[in-house]
Amino acid sequence: MGRWRVGVDSGGTFTDVCLFDEEEGRMEVWKVSSTPDDPSRGIAQGVEEGMRRVAPGAVQPGATVTYFGHGTTVATNALIQHRGVRTGLVTTDGFRDLLEIGRQKRPDLYDMQADKPPTLVPRDLRIEVPERVRHDGKIDLPLDEKRMRAAAKALKAAGVEAVTVSFLYGFIRPEHEMRAVEILREEMPGVFISAGHEIAPEFREFERLSTVVLNAYLGPVMRNYIERLTPRLRELGMEATPHLTQSNGGVIGFGTAAKMPVRAVLSGPSTGVVGAQAIGTLAGFTDLITFDMGGTSTDVALLNDGTCKLASEATVHGYPIKAPMLDIHTVGAGGGSIAYIDAGGLLKVGPRSCGADPGPVCYGRGNKEPATTDANVVLQTLNPEYLLAGRMKVDQGLAKQAIGRLAQRLGLGLMETAQGIISVVTANMARAIRVISVQRGYDPRDYTMLAFGGAGPLHAARLALELDMKRVLIPRNPGILCAMGLLLTDLRADFAATKLLPATNASVDDVVSAFKGLTERAGEWFVHEKVAPADRRLSRTADMRYAGQNYELAVPLPEGPVTAVTIAALADGFAEAHRQRYGFVAEGEPVQIVTLRLEAAGRVRKAELQAFDDAGKDASRAVVGMRDVWFPEAGGFVPTPIYGRDELLAGNAFTGPAIVEQMDTTTVVLPGMHARVDAYLNLVLEVAP
Amino acid sequence: MNDVSVPDAAVLDPITIEVIGAALSSIVEETGEALIRASYSTNIKERRDCSTALFDTAGNTLCQAEHIPIHLGSFIGIVPHILKLHRVEDMRPGDVFVGNDAYEGGGTHLPDIVLAEPIFVEARIAAWTVNLAHHADFADRGHAHIYQEGLRIPPVRLYRGGELQKDVLDLILLNCQVPRERLSDLRAQMAANRVGVQRFQALCAKYGTTTVMAAGAALLDYAERKMRAGIAAIPDGIWTFADVFESTEVPEHLPLQVKVTVEGDSMSLHFDSPPQLRAGLNMTWTALAATAYYVVKSVVDPTILPNAGLARPLTVTAPAGTVLNCTHPAAVNGRVQTCQRVSDLIIGALAQAVPDRVTACSNSVCTVATFIGQKPEDGSIWVYLETMGGGAGARATKDGMDGVHVHVTNTSNLPVEALETEYPLTLLRYELVDGSGGVGTYRGGMGLRRVYRADADCRVRVDVSRLTSESWGLLGGGPGGHGAVECGPGVVFDRDNAVLKAGQWFAVVSPGAGGYGPPEKRVREAVARDLAEAVITETTAREVYRYRA
Repeated sequence: MGRWRVGVDSGGTFTDVCLFDEEEGRMEVWKVSSTPDDPSRGIAQGVEEGMRRVAPGAVQPGATVTYFGHGTTVATNALIQHRGVRTGLVTTDGFRDLLEIGRQKRPDLYDMQADKPPTLVPRDLRIEVPERVRHDGKIDLPLDEKRMRAAAKALKAAGVEAVTVSFLYGFIRPEHEMRAVEILREEMPGVFISAGHEIAPEFREFERLSTVVLNAYLGPVMRNYIERLTPRLRELGMEATPHLTQSNGGVIGFGTAAKMPVRAVLSGPSTGVVGAQAIGTLAGFTDLITFDMGGTSTDVALLNDGTCKLASEATVHGYPIKAPMLDIHTVGAGGGSIAYIDAGGLLKVGPRSCGADPGPVCYGRGNKEPATTDANVVLQTLNPEYLLAGRMKVDQGLAKQAIGRLAQRLGLGLMETAQGIISVVTANMARAIRVISVQRGYDPRDYTMLAFGGAGPLHAARLALELDMKRVLIPRNPGILCAMGLLLTDLRADFAATKLLPATNASVDDVVSAFKGLTERAGEWFVHEKVAPADRRLSRTADMRYAGQNYELAVPLPEGPVTAVTIAALADGFAEAHRQRYGFVAEGEPVQIVTLRLEAAGRVRKAELQAFDDAGKDASRAVVGMRDVWFPEAGGFVPTPIYGRDELLAGNAFTGPAIVEQMDTTTVVLPGMHARVDAYLNLVLEVAP
Repeated sequence: MNDVSVPDAAVLDPITIEVIGAALSSIVEETGEALIRASYSTNIKERRDCSTALFDTAGNTLCQAEHIPIHLGSFIGIVPHILKLHRVEDMRPGDVFVGNDAYEGGGTHLPDIVLAEPIFVEARIAAWTVNLAHHADFADRGHAHIYQEGLRIPPVRLYRGGELQKDVLDLILLNCQVPRERLSDLRAQMAANRVGVQRFQALCAKYGTTTVMAAGAALLDYAERKMRAGIAAIPDGIWTFADVFESTEVPEHLPLQVKVTVEGDSMSLHFDSPPQLRAGLNMTWTALAATAYYVVKSVVDPTILPNAGLARPLTVTAPAGTVLNCTHPAAVNGRVQTCQRVSDLIIGALAQAVPDRVTACSNSVCTVATFIGQKPEDGSIWVYLETMGGGAGARATKDGMDGVHVHVTNTSNLPVEALETEYPLTLLRYELVDGSGGVGTYRGGMGLRRVYRADADCRVRVDVSRLTSESWGLLGGGPGGHGAVECGPGVVFDRDNAVLKAGQWFAVVSPGAGGYGPPEKRVREAVARDLAEAVITETTAREVYRYRA
């Protein structure tokens, strides 16, 4: 029978299902087409088919599922396509336009035709209510309850499905927001309500407002989705509590997720990072740069000692969000990015993409502009006849014609131009990786690149070379890393309190009491998520800065009770972090603690990947063919062995040039690079000798 | 310093150039981020009123981070001025020059303090890393001439071989009203330069200095080619346009005029204006040139790399000693107001040639409020400067943006919660001004209103324009709303200045922008939406838009 842990990553094209048998330690994967009109259908279908495959005898396919983890793009897609609900907003008197004004900057410095993303609440649904709290917590003007009630009635009459309440300084003194929420609940029961102090109790009114509005705007969408998915899973006989990944890489129960959809907008990419983290750690590499290159976009992240930093704020699809998010940097370039020559005669690639349809020129579906994939087909790093293990035929002749047209205009040869496209893509990707490494004070040369996504392994070796990185790790199943990540992640929630304090002994009591409050909230959450006491873990950080600065650096607190020693350790930690990031320490300048954060993690039983016995170095039996591949370092086409990924065994080793093919990706091993297969069947490329 | 041989740019292939270009952009972005994150003053850390750039050894901009276009004006001049005053053979690694002067330092106004550092590779200067931060200081000064406006700093060494020159620093700080902020911001500027030096050296180590320098030269050629291609697409001809400038500082209408001549792939812009004034609104030629470069790049091709190559097809002239090309000792502190009007002046001329590419007149000013007071506890001075967005001009196919920074500036507002925590001020309202967007098939952007209350006695200076003139509409579109200062009981402005007592309030209103096309052609649903959102009145809907519900 078995006891199964199931991870489902529901993407735009495919829904990946990863199934792990806790008793046997066996892992299976299943892929079905997504059903974008109602993703819950595809998910239920994928789980059902997957379970029927691994446990054909079961009466109810879901009955033996003990854990269900899920990464979704529902919130992200609703945001990109502006398909949230009609939302109302209640603000402090004088500030209803703040949502629209934002930080008053224009979106593009030079392009006069550029626009800001649409304002999610129109002006007639933004209502001002007299009330005023001051920065020190004093109340200047009590909440005008009559006007508040009138606002609620007006929004009800306007037919909104969600309401946001966000007042100035609501994070310091939330009474007015709390009372406003009570009135809204009385006047419009059943409407989704988000308040600033609950969703983002942090400094900076516009970014907070933007976050809370997004939460309300996406709330009913996420709630409906969960309400559709839950019964479908129950119909399969599944009794396990379903979980959803958040942007911070942790998972939460569906109940919490339905209340805080804004925390799940990066659910998809963060799951990939979690998968990368687990696989990297298992392989013995904890300092990682993840490189997840897909068709239209690429996500990169940096992991130090096995953990990816959390950003407390980011701009997602044009909207600022204050919520803990893994520090993932996304660029709009991938295998489908189109290469062209601009007015000044330089070769450019992206951000325009040919998408999955019509796809690259070599698909023969009518596209005439060459994409990155076409360059790889011409160079024969990609199979010049078919992709996806034979499922997709490609026409190299068409790709040659398209790139040939570019070559003629550039005055270069066909192959030089195809290689040029790869060089430009590599430079763009290197720039993205510099953002998360050198710009944050980390040297990429100290990291291992973990490449996944459909196009990651194809470009990884060259990118690593460009950045002087020593090693590349390609997981066994680069295409389903996200689904796998769901089986490798803990429950997680973050709690924060903004409190401006000097980093001196005088603040000990305040820090103690702030963490006491946060710990209580975390305790409630543990109970809600049914985490056993032995599986609970708390870690504390403080966001700190020099008095006068406005951007903080996160400093971890040492274990144990908070005392004067703790504060001194924080001050030292801050100085070190400041030196790391900015290269100097301002001796003698007062240091402040701004926000205290508590991360609560509930350990879950994770999938344990199987280690395989060493089958010896000889990889020759995995060679499935030979083809000429263009390697500029070798001066042209080189007869190159093609390895089948499925045939490679633990311990196998070989030296480039080589190409490794598998259903969902192709790996390029450059001439002279050493490749080996580790015990978990990861492919490890050593870039430098 | 020019003895590092630069290979012919033509020998580098377009791909290497593109790859090195991406690396240079990455360096200036990274230095900019370092500057903002490590700074202390609200004007830099929150409002991001700063810029970073790399220069070649001849002082040409190789790459400028996408911050504030007018800062290019200071960048154009700084390296040549350093080279005029200092011998290259005396320069050492770790030398850092500081400067701000509009006449002897290459700057455009004194608060913009530039730090420039030569980048040594293999014992020779290969490039310069330069950054500029607008220090919110030199407040509550006179503007009869530049000597009243603050400390004039010619480019001098702030660091010599990595050693801070304390004498120089002390001299500067004693002349500043908020020395602690200046010191901290200068430190952040140093941190930014350090990043620039390291990254550029690493780039040279990777590709070889000669290749990087050749790529730099090729990138200038590349920007030039794109600029020429863009200009060539504009019909040949002579296009003139006139407008006026007035402000709280100088309420009289000053006539301004431009003549744009497009000839093949080059363009010349000639400006006429009254003789320079005893007021802060004069512009140096570098500010005028930076403004012209910004507008022409935006109109012909916004993707052109912001480097010195884009200036080659352009000739910018104006008679010396006039408001738009002032000479020593004219005051220049408020030059950004005038730069904004000049931007729309050029757009007005180009609108006749390429109406689809331009916008109607934007709010056409950079509205500024500067507060200064003394802290009761120790008598130290506090200065708070903020700039306000306004309407952006309507476009050929869509409305103008509401309440944004336009043209040569693009700085953030300060969060209300930061403003009130740091200064004795309360923001009572912050809103879009109803009815201020010019009517049209496409509506002009709305201006902003900020209502301040002083919580302690202080002084305020306000710079705003379009008090009596109007931001024009295009092809039948109507003008944007006026700029204004609104006073609460007891507040009296002496032109641009007022003394505020604790508890008093006043408001600044930034202008709206012009509309595009005749209003009666506006899509009916859009008029209905404007009406529902109180963006226009029922009367306007009925009488101007001919709208019936």
